[in-house]
This record gives sequence, C-alpha cells and structure tokens, in this order.
Amino acid sequence: MICGLAFLQGCSSNDDSAYIAIDENLEVAIPVNFPEINYDLGSNPITKNGFELGKKLFYDGKLSANGFISCGFCHEQRTAFTHHGHQFSHGIDDLEGTRNTPAIQNLAFQTEFSWDGATSHLDLFPIIPITNEVEMGETLSGVLAKLKADAEYQRLFASAFEDAEINNENFLKALAQFMVMMISSNSKYDKYVRNEDNIEFSALEKEGFAIFESKCASCHKTDLFTDNSFRNNGLPPYPGLNDIGRAAVSGSLSDNYKFKIPSLRNVALTAPYMHDGRFGSLESVLNFYNSGVIDSETLDPQLKQNSRLGIALSTEEQEALIAFLNTLTDNEYITDSRFAEY
Amino acid sequence: MIEYLLILYNKMKSLKNIQYLFLALSILTISCSTDDDSSENLSGENNLTMEFDNSVNGDDLILNTTAYTNSNGERITINRFNYIVSNFVLIDSEGNEFTYPKDESYFVISEEAGLNEVQLTNIPAGEYVALRFGVGVDQEKYLQGAEGQGDFLQTAESTNMLWSWLTGYKFLNFEGSFTTAANIEAQDFKIHMGSHGSSLDNYKEFTVDLPTKALVSSNLSPIVHFKVDANQILDGQNKILLSEKSVVMIDEVKSPQIATNAAAMFSVDHIHNGENHDH
Repeated sequence: MICGLAFLQGCSSNDDSAYIAIDENLEVAIPVNFPEINYDLGSNPITKNGFELGKKLFYDGKLSANGFISCGFCHEQRTAFTHHGHQFSHGIDDLEGTRNTPAIQNLAFQTEFSWDGATSHLDLFPIIPITNEVEMGETLSGVLAKLKADAEYQRLFASAFEDAEINNENFLKALAQFMVMMISSNSKYDKYVRNEDNIEFSALEKEGFAIFESKCASCHKTDLFTDNSFRNNGLPPYPGLNDIGRAAVSGSLSDNYKFKIPSLRNVALTAPYMHDGRFGSLESVLNFYNSGVIDSETLDPQLKQNSRLGIALSTEEQEALIAFLNTLTDNEYITDSRFAEY
Repeated sequence: MIEYLLILYNKMKSLKNIQYLFLALSILTISCSTDDDSSENLSGENNLTMEFDNSVNGDDLILNTTAYTNSNGERITINRFNYIVSNFVLIDSEGNEFTYPKDESYFVISEEAGLNEVQLTNIPAGEYVALRFGVGVDQEKYLQGAEGQGDFLQTAESTNMLWSWLTGYKFLNFEGSFTTAANIEAQDFKIHMGSHGSSLDNYKEFTVDLPTKALVSSNLSPIVHFKVDANQILDGQNKILLSEKSVVMIDEVKSPQIATNAAAMFSVDHIHNGENHDH
C-alpha cells in the first residue's frame, strides 16, 4: 500500500496540478521591540504548506453560505486588513453587522480577540465570523463538507498535515498559521526605535511621540499599542444599537460599554474608527478625546482625572500626535506578497 | 462446582436445551463475582456504559407536551434539554482513581437528538463506587485551541451547544415555555449556560456515589443508570424565577447559580452488572 502511494506520488509529480510541495517549517521572526509571543507555536508549528493553505482559506468564499464572502472580503490588505470605507462591515446577503472590522496584524502577540474578547484563543476566532448570520452565515460542518468535496483541498490538507484529514482541527490550525505570520513590524516607528536604516523622526513626530507616551500609552501599551484590556473610553452609546461591548461576553454590569483597546499600528489606514466606525478621521478621534468624552459608571478612570473628562489635547498637540500616528504605517506589511490575495 | 456443571451438562445433553449452557455459565460468573476478595480476581479491561435518563422531579421528561409545576410556582414545558458531560474519573472501593483520557472525555447528552448514552472504553478492571465528572468544558481544554477541540466542535455545533457570537460551548441548553398564576399566557424561556469568555468560568465538577459497585473486568461491563433531574436547573439549591428573567445566557449572578444547580442534577438510580447490555 505504501509502495503504491509512493508510486502514485512519483507519477503525479510530473503533473503540476497534482504536485505536492515538500513541506518545510516557517520561522516566526519575532521583532526585537515586541513583547513575548502569546500563541503556542508548539501546538501548531507553522509550515510552508500550512501557511499557504491558511492563506487560500482566508481568501476563499467557500467559507460562507453563499460562496462569495471570504475573510478577505472584509479584511483587505491595503488597509491593514480592514473594511475600508465601511462603518459597519457588510456580510452575506448584504446584511450589515454592528461593528467595524478591526485590523489583522500581530495577533500572535495578543490574548483577547474581537472587540469584546469573545474568544481568548486565536485558533477559535474564525468560528465567530463564519457562523455569524450577518457575516458569513455558515456552519463549521458546512464549510468542512465543501472542503472535503474539493480535490484541491484534499491535496492541500494532505500536504500540510500528517494525518491529511480535512477536519476542524486542521482547518482552524491552517487559518491560524496564516494569521500568526501576519506580523507588522517595519513601520517608520519600528525602524526609529530599533535604530535601523538611519531612520530619524522629524521634530513634529518626536513631539507627537512624547505626547503619545504621556497621554495615550497607558492603554495603547508596548509596541503592539494595546494592553489587551477592555475599557469604556466615554463614547456616547450609538443610538439604536446600544452595543454593551464586553458586558455581552462577561455578563457583568461593570463591563458595560467596554471594548478592547485596539492596536494603533497602521492606524492612518484603518478609517473609520472606534468599534462602531463612527469617526471618519484621526482628527475627529482626537477631538473626541479632547472634548467629546461622556461620563458613565464604567468610564475608564484615566479619562476622568483632575475633574476633567477626556484627555486635554491642544490643536498643536493633536497635530503632533497625528504626525506620530502616521509613523505607525507599515508599507511593507500592506504590500507583502506573502499575504496578498493575488 | 465441577460436579454440578457435569450434572447440568448431562441434563443439557439429555434435554438438548441450549439454555442450560447459559445457566451454567451464569452460575460460573456469579460464583466468581460473589467471592469475598473479588476485586483481586477482576482482571483485564472492558467498557462502562452510562445511561442518562432525563426526568423532572421524578417524572419522565417528555419534550413539548407535559407541563411541570415547580416550587417556584411556575409551570414549565420543556422543548430542549441538552448538556455536556465531561472529564470522567472512576473511583474504586479503595479510593484509587482512573481518569478517562481527557481528549475523549467530552459528550453531549441531548433529549431531542436521542443522545442518552455514553460508552467509556478500555476501563481497567475494578470495583467502582463513585464517578466524578463535570458539566461543560473546562478552560484548560478550551485554551488548547484547535488541537484541544478536535471534532467536538462539530458535535457541539450540530447539537445546538456551540455559541457563535461568543466562541465557546453552551454547557447547558434548556428551553421551553412557562406560565405563572399571574400570567397564564405561555411565554418562551431560554437558559443557555457556559463560561463567559475569559471573565467567568462556569465549568463545575462533582462526585456521584454509586448505590452498588460497578464491576469491570474482561467479562464484566456494567451499565450505570443515571437519573438526571432537569427540575434542579430552576428549582435546585438556587431558585431561578423565569418570571424575573426568561432569557438567561450571560448573567454574572444567575449563570453561576444555574451552573451550581445543574451540577446537582445527577444521581445514579441503579447499576446493571454483567456482560449483557440489555436492561
């Protein structure tokens, strides 16, 4: 039997369509300015074929009920894998969600996923959009049935996983392998803090960096620019939605209107902003922190210090902050062919 | 003993009745298992089957038809009663514990799907006096990601035990309708209990004593017959009033109370020892 298989493979290697590339491990290069990786690579070692399979799945509409909505439909590379121009993300049958698509980058370093931390394991995250009836509207069983019926996927799963099985474990592992590799760490900021390529900040960028460190970095912590916590930043609840955020997951009133602190990497590309995408520009975001924060029982204490709501930011400070935030754009990441659909 | 079997054998020969052979064999079995230090004699391994017989306060649980009155003054009709049982540990008369392999220790019991039986395989021989297990999926398992879940994700999905907006499992899915004296118009209720993301762990383990020993050996595979009292969910140690809140999914106060109540649903009614699986 084994001889037979070897013979079959030997034959088919002349034929491109059935060619199975020999697998090899991919190294996850951890940027020196990053905190420790959170994802357990031991339980899901990244391989070339696993990563490529994950990429194919990421861009495949088969993952949705109607066959058209892929992960990449809402997560577009050119905008750091967000759904640019859409306040709420569109899904199947043009149904609209209630939240704004978050960027995908550096997920292997994070501990909570989605705006409300609906899962604390990256592997299990894809279940949410796949089964959400306003996103991809499928079932795991439905997706696997489609993949099992597809000769190319049979070949790709066999090339990526020893047991060759198309099951949810391998399906989720492949998607996770793709997402783990999606590391954005080559912005102007990164090169500046790592003293690479003689990159220097302008005076305005330096000023913005200093303001950022004193007024923003307590939540947008580390070079991931998030502390993975959930906080109420004082947005007035969106009329008609009343999205209670983290409280929907924890069941705790003390979590009302709290959302995950988003990373600010590539933030200049990811408009609109906030969990509900209500702000169209970074200027509006900073204006809000300066003068739009409303008080409530769960407002983050850092946003009501010295009997003032929000964060005092003069026009000059806002201008400097925006110059700094622009240094977080990583053009290598958004043009990296490893992650590109085509 | 031998003489007795020979007599039986001769009788069987004369009567040509195969039943005598079974009689002879069962005498052999009984005489082995009634021996005083029988645990010394149990060897090998076998299956242990668990039957989850769903009920409501002593009555049969019948979906969609019967209305059950509880001590909270509410009459409920049950349309769905599904739960996850997991992490089985068998405890023998000397207190030794056998932990069933964790990766294979998760099961959905579903009244609507007719899933009422769990078979544990390759159980080492012994005289078991208690079982420890849990309702739901522990955080350790969940945080193993894709690897830890295996095919259980699909089992849960196909039995309405998978949350989608919150990834994770419903440990208990209990649905139906209810009336009260003040409100005779039937109103739907939904009790979905599980862990709340990384905030609140509602997985609970407990030990259930067996009324008689469950004997396992290479030729003995017992059936443990559980009686599972759905009435406990609302009317157990904690009183959960549907008239106060009829949809409880993620509730910091009520969900842990329901988890505590659900852990008390299980008792073992009886054990069938022997090699025959019919009862």
